[in-house]
Amino acid sequence: MSAAMVNAAGNLWVNRLRRDFRASLLLLALLSLAPLFVTTPYSLGILIISIYFALLALGWNLLAGFTGQFSLAPAAFAMLGAYTTALLDYHLQAPLAIGIPAAIVSCAVLGWLLGKVVLRLKGPYLSLTTLSFAEIARVVIGNSIEFTRGDQGLNVPTLFESRVGYYYLFLGVLLATLVGLYLLMKSRTGRFWLAIRDDATGAESRGIAVVRYKTLAFALSCAICGLAGSLYGTFSQLVSPELGLLMQTGLIIAMVVIGGMGTLTGPIVGALLVYLTSEWLRDFGNIQMIVFSAAVILFARFLRTGLWGLASGRYRSKAGSAKP
Amino acid sequence: MLALDLLVNGLIFGLFYALMAVGLAMIFGVLKVVNFAHGEFYMIGSYAYVLIALKLGIPPWLALPLAALTGGALGWLVERLLMRPLYAGHGSWSSSKDEYAVVVTFGLSLLLVNLVDKIVGPYPFRGPVLIETSRFSIGPVMLNGQKLIAAGVSLCLLIGLALFIKRSLWGRQIQAVAQNRLGASLAGIDATRTTSMVFVISGMMAALAGALLAPLINPGPDVGAFPAIKSYVIVVLGGMGSIWGGMAAALILGVCESFFAVYVSYAYRDAFGLMLLILVLLVRPQGMFGEKGREL
Amino acid sequence: MSLLRTEGLQKHFGGISAVDDCSIAVEPGEILGLIGPNGSGKTSLLNILSGFLAPDAGSVWLGDEAVTGMTPVQLANRGLLRMFQMTRVFTRISAVDNMLTAGLARGLSEAEAERRCETLLDELTLSQVRYLDAGALSGGQKKLLEFGMCFIAPPKIALLDEPFAAVHPVMREAMAGFIRRRHGEGQTFILVSHDMPIIVDLCPRSVCMNAGRVIAQGATRTVLESPAVIEAYLGSSVGSSAHV
Repeated sequence: MSAAMVNAAGNLWVNRLRRDFRASLLLLALLSLAPLFVTTPYSLGILIISIYFALLALGWNLLAGFTGQFSLAPAAFAMLGAYTTALLDYHLQAPLAIGIPAAIVSCAVLGWLLGKVVLRLKGPYLSLTTLSFAEIARVVIGNSIEFTRGDQGLNVPTLFESRVGYYYLFLGVLLATLVGLYLLMKSRTGRFWLAIRDDATGAESRGIAVVRYKTLAFALSCAICGLAGSLYGTFSQLVSPELGLLMQTGLIIAMVVIGGMGTLTGPIVGALLVYLTSEWLRDFGNIQMIVFSAAVILFARFLRTGLWGLASGRYRSKAGSAKP
Repeated sequence: MLALDLLVNGLIFGLFYALMAVGLAMIFGVLKVVNFAHGEFYMIGSYAYVLIALKLGIPPWLALPLAALTGGALGWLVERLLMRPLYAGHGSWSSSKDEYAVVVTFGLSLLLVNLVDKIVGPYPFRGPVLIETSRFSIGPVMLNGQKLIAAGVSLCLLIGLALFIKRSLWGRQIQAVAQNRLGASLAGIDATRTTSMVFVISGMMAALAGALLAPLINPGPDVGAFPAIKSYVIVVLGGMGSIWGGMAAALILGVCESFFAVYVSYAYRDAFGLMLLILVLLVRPQGMFGEKGREL
Repeated sequence: MSLLRTEGLQKHFGGISAVDDCSIAVEPGEILGLIGPNGSGKTSLLNILSGFLAPDAGSVWLGDEAVTGMTPVQLANRGLLRMFQMTRVFTRISAVDNMLTAGLARGLSEAEAERRCETLLDELTLSQVRYLDAGALSGGQKKLLEFGMCFIAPPKIALLDEPFAAVHPVMREAMAGFIRRRHGEGQTFILVSHDMPIIVDLCPRSVCMNAGRVIAQGATRTVLESPAVIEAYLGSSVGSSAHV
């Protein structure tokens, strides 16, 4: 079926995207039933954190999977979003109704600026610059003790006490992000992102305003990460520079690569799978990071389309095109 | 005369940085990708040195070359198992080798850190010194024996490597492959073997840097992160893939950092290099010493 | 008025002048051949015309608008499109999606792009492989696809860089036929090629460059027979080669 799929209309972008979107909606529908079966606050908390990672994974995938910009700063933007909300509360006692939107806006602006900075850079240069940005952000936040309380972190007020409420809040935000991404990817903006991913020079020569679309992708991706970080801060009621560790970025990359880059379902599946199994693997003596880093290497080496690629049969087309 | 002390200590750190960065630059030279697991070569080197010396009771001077061998073996394995798709006609990532390289080397970095954390333990070790001395001063410059010996060994290694690359047949083959892989293959150079050799040398150099510094830094599993970031800064400053530029940039960064830490801010000393990196990439993406390449 | 003209273009790389005092003009509806030995500056000139290189001096005019130093995007939006010697298709989406993207980039509506895509795919004999990822197409098919992407919204002027290089003869004929038909509809081209029979066949007028300078221009036959051009291709020792 798979080999036929790539030779048929099923391989058209609109059809691929629609299949992908439907699968992800189905997944979300299943997730919405979870509180019926998962009742302990601890397990619900784990589900909430995996949705937090699903948001980060979708945000990073927009840049890396759809636009080809291999940023190494998604965790840094989650940290910046969380700190925007926390600092507004700590210094100005701003309510969350201001603090959370402010996190989205500040991360979008910072992301847009970072996008401008790395505009002319390609491949490894872009990865190195975003990595430097991420590390600088973390070092600055960790060392500005008078302003941020440094490594001690900051307390954040919570939106509400109910865990089930938080679960549905995260799920709702995930749904909104998903629908927004679907609509964008269906429009000419999405097509232009894919073109830039595959060949930025070629896209330019066809008249695609590469500058504008790249910075737009940066701003949106960072806004998604910032929102996720901000909400996570209010959920855990504590933010610290550890949110921005490179290890966290590694986890996000692992999720997207295992689930399937350049898709909508892949990052969500990857985030759930990686985070939930890592909780499970904790019982076997903290081997989760070993398992996932090994899995990432194996997926990148042998199954680059990830689990969603495997499920939707697109991996064969890659194998087919590999032959000279 | 604080300045002289800072200068000498900065240069010494510059030598260690150079040992790290030169391998990264060589890898970038032949494959045009960044090895994000380079810090872990360093970490493995310092662990190999410490464990061989402490657990097997082998004298430190012998543990040093054994650590280098471990690093070289790791480099060879990484190239053999993971880097081949970048050039050996595996089609599936050929259109996006940058992505493949980032994912695989980043994943490898996490894997090695966590493996060591699990197998050896998360606690830092104190490495045995090559020479027992207390701190002493030469004029205004404060030094200790281990630091001086380590700097001396690094200097010898760097000079040796420079001569090897410039003079020997293998070194020239490395230069040829870095300039033009296809052209070099057509001229009869075994580009695959050359790439393997580059990874072995890179692994050895980074491992030696880790081993030499082990008594000074007390290695833990994540000890490679900062040296790796320094070496990214250095290869960008020196012009990606330029070995000579990298060595010069390493010394400059070492000196600048030691002055920055004292005269500007100690807390932000590690951010200094990163800010420099962003600045350089913005103004001169080809690095301070790199040549401007033409696109298209 | 000329559709595209340059005045005194200069471009240096270090000590080498890639383009030196280059003035050419393309009239509406013509196919201008651009020839010259390897390294004569043809591709550099094309890069300047399409905005990928900024000239050191001189000007480029598209109609009566000065477009010197504009970006490739600005030029593409003004109807100056360029095809590369090494194909630049979007490898991980299907051939159809490649053409749709190119059409949308030129401002077509989705429906219009889809309609034109159908006709072009047939004309370019790509219907069989339309749903394949562009990365899986053969080299020749990729070039044909680039033609499709270029002409889904017909440009004012198309710059073709070596479209026939390393292409199967049958496919080469298909491409030449495509160019001829577009020419019949009044399309303007600059065609860079080493393939002299095709240049003679397609281009009534040609420009020959050597060492960055225009050494001859005019009717293609005359250009090819001019002593300066023969010397440029065969080397300056032609006259004195008798004793070698």
